[in-house]
Amino acid sequence: MQSLQQLQLLQNPTEAANSQSELEAPPKQVAQAMERLNQAARVIADIRLGADRVFEAFFLTSHPRTSTTDTSLQLLLKEDASMRQHLHDLRSIGKKLEESGVLTESLRSRSNSWGLHMPLVCPDGAVVAYAWKRQLAGQADVTLDDCRLALKAFTDQKRRFFPHIDDGVKMESRSKKHRASHSLLEHGGEEPFDCKTLPDIQSRLEKLVPNVKVSTYGRLSWLKRANSLPGSGSDDDPPEASKLVFQSSSKLRSGLEAEVADKVAVIELYVPSVFRAVVSLNPAGSVDPDSVAFFSPDEGGSYLYSRGFSAHHVYKHITEHASTVLQYFLGFGTGTALYSLLLWICSFESLFSKPCSKCGRLLAMDKKSALILPPLHRAYQELPLAANLDVCEAYHGGCSPDDS
Amino acid sequence: MRFGDELLLRSSSLVTRGVRIAVPPPPPPPQRTTMPVKWVLYWQPNQGSTVSTQILNEAAQCVESINGVKEGRWKAALNYYKPMLRDQSTHPDLPRDFLGISLADQPTKYYFLIRSQRLVVEADASIQLIMEKLQSYKSKVSIYFDGFQYLLGDFRLRVGRVVPVHSETIRGIVMEVEYLPISSMEKARKVMEEFVEIWHEALSKTSLSGKFVNIELNFGEFGLADTYTPQHTGVQYAIVMAHMIATVQPAARG
Repeated sequence: MQSLQQLQLLQNPTEAANSQSELEAPPKQVAQAMERLNQAARVIADIRLGADRVFEAFFLTSHPRTSTTDTSLQLLLKEDASMRQHLHDLRSIGKKLEESGVLTESLRSRSNSWGLHMPLVCPDGAVVAYAWKRQLAGQADVTLDDCRLALKAFTDQKRRFFPHIDDGVKMESRSKKHRASHSLLEHGGEEPFDCKTLPDIQSRLEKLVPNVKVSTYGRLSWLKRANSLPGSGSDDDPPEASKLVFQSSSKLRSGLEAEVADKVAVIELYVPSVFRAVVSLNPAGSVDPDSVAFFSPDEGGSYLYSRGFSAHHVYKHITEHASTVLQYFLGFGTGTALYSLLLWICSFESLFSKPCSKCGRLLAMDKKSALILPPLHRAYQELPLAANLDVCEAYHGGCSPDDS
Repeated sequence: MRFGDELLLRSSSLVTRGVRIAVPPPPPPPQRTTMPVKWVLYWQPNQGSTVSTQILNEAAQCVESINGVKEGRWKAALNYYKPMLRDQSTHPDLPRDFLGISLADQPTKYYFLIRSQRLVVEADASIQLIMEKLQSYKSKVSIYFDGFQYLLGDFRLRVGRVVPVHSETIRGIVMEVEYLPISSMEKARKVMEEFVEIWHEALSKTSLSGKFVNIELNFGEFGLADTYTPQHTGVQYAIVMAHMIATVQPAARG
C-alpha cells in the first residue's frame, strides 16, 4: 500500500498537493478509496476489541464482588462512549466510500475514469485492488512473483463469482438469450407478472411452491428471531419469542404500505426439516438482493444472517454456490434478480430427495472437499420463466455441466 | 449491506442484552430438543463366520479410507432387569423384558424400555442409584458397548463391540450412523440409505464377510414422532439386541 501511494505522489505531484480539488483524477480517487478501506478495516478491528471490553464491563457489573458498582459503571460508560465513537467513524468512512462508488455497483458506472476501476469489494470480503491492475499492465515496479500472485487471485475470484463471464462467443450468445428471457418476464410474457414489488413476489411464490414459508423482516426483528430460534441456546422460550416477532411485524403491516415496504430488509425462506435460507435486501425496502445464506432448520443464533455460514458442510457449500448464482441473476440488470433468486432457492426443497441428474445417485464423494454430499447444484439458467421447479436439475459439484 | 449498519445492529443487540442483565437472572435455557437423525445397525456375519475384533479394525480402516476423522472413544451400557419377588406366581403381569439403557451422547440421562408394551421413558441418570437402593428390580444381565467414533463431514459414525459384562468374548458389533444437519427421520431416509450403500461398497474391498443391517422400525408404536430424539436411539438399541441374540452366534471361547 505504501509503495502505491509513493508511486501516486511521483506520478501526480500536482494532484497530491492539490488535495482540496473536488474533481480529483481517478488515480487519486482510487488511492483514497484504498486508504479508506484500510481505515475501515482498522476501525472494524477496534470495534471487535471494544465489543469484548463491553462484555467484560457487563460481566463486572453483574459480579459485584470483583469490583465496586461505581468503578464497573464507569467502565461501562467509558466503553459505551468509545464504541459509539468507533461506529460513528465507521459510518462516516462507509458514506465516503459509497459516494466514491466503492461499495455499490461501480464497475459499470466508471467508464470514463482513464480505464481504471475503483477497488471492488467482493462478496467474500476480498478487495480487488487497483494496484494489481497496474502491475498486470506492467506500469508499476513489481516482481514477476507479484504478477503471478495477482493473476492467480484475479482468476480464482473470477472463476468463483463470475463463472458465466467468458471471453468466448459461445457464452455471449447464451447470455443474450437469457437476457431476452429475463426482459420477457419483465414485460409480461404469458402471464402479466410484475416482479418488482415484494408482495407480488411473495404471492406468486406461495402459488408456485406452497411448501416453502416465505417471511419478511426488518433487520432488527430478524436478529431477534435468529436469536430465538431453537438451537441457539437462548434464554427465550422459542415459540413465545417468534410469536412476539410476528405480532410486531403484523402491526407494521397494518400501518401504511409505504412505511412497511421501507422496513423490509431480510427475507426468510423456510422449508420445514430441510433448510432455512436468509436473503438480505440492500437498500432496505427495495427488491435488490445483496447476499444469501443457507442454514439447517435446527440451527439458531446470531450467526444466522445472510453473510453467515452454517455449522454444517452441506449448507456451507450451497451458500457458496448461491453467491455465484446471485451474481449471475444480478448481472442481467433487469430487476428480476430477487424473484429469480427466491425461485431458485425454493428448488432446494428436494435437497435430500432428488438424485443427481448426471450420476443418478443422491450422495457422492465430493473430490474437492473430500466429503460425502447430496447434489448441491441446481440449474439456474432456465429460471425465471419456468412454469414449475422440476426443470431445476440437481447436480453434484463434480457432476455439474458448469464445471470444466 | 452498508458497511457500518451491520455492526451497529450487532452493537445494539449487545446493548439490549446488557439491559436484560440488570433484570433478575432469567431461568436456565430450555434443553435442545432437536437431535440429528441416527440409525443403529448391527453386524450380521455370513453363514459360518463369527464376530471378532478383526471386524472392528477393518471397519476403522474403512472409515479412514472414506476420509473419516477419528474423534475419540464412546461407550454405552444396557441392563436387563428382573423383578425381585418373593412369590413369582402372584404377579403374572409384571414385565419380563424391562430394559435400562445409558447412551453415549446423553451422559446425564437413563432410558427405560418395556418392549412388549411399547413403552420408552427418559429418566435422570441417578435413577440407577435409586433402583439399587430400592431393590425392587435387579439387573440380571449387563451389556457394554464400546469403540471409536469418527466424523465424515456431515456424518458421524460410531463402531463398537458388544460385550457382556465380566466377559471378554464379543457378542456382536454395532454401528451408529448420524446425519448431523437434519432431525426429521423421513427427510433423512434416502440420505441414510445411500450412506449405508456407500459404506458397504467401501467394506466390500476388505476381507470381511457379512454386512451391517438396519432394522425397519415403526417408531409410532412407541409413541415417538418423526423428529429424532434419544428415545429413538433407546428403542433402536433394544431391538438391535433382540435381533442380535436371535441371529448372531457368539464368538467361540479361547
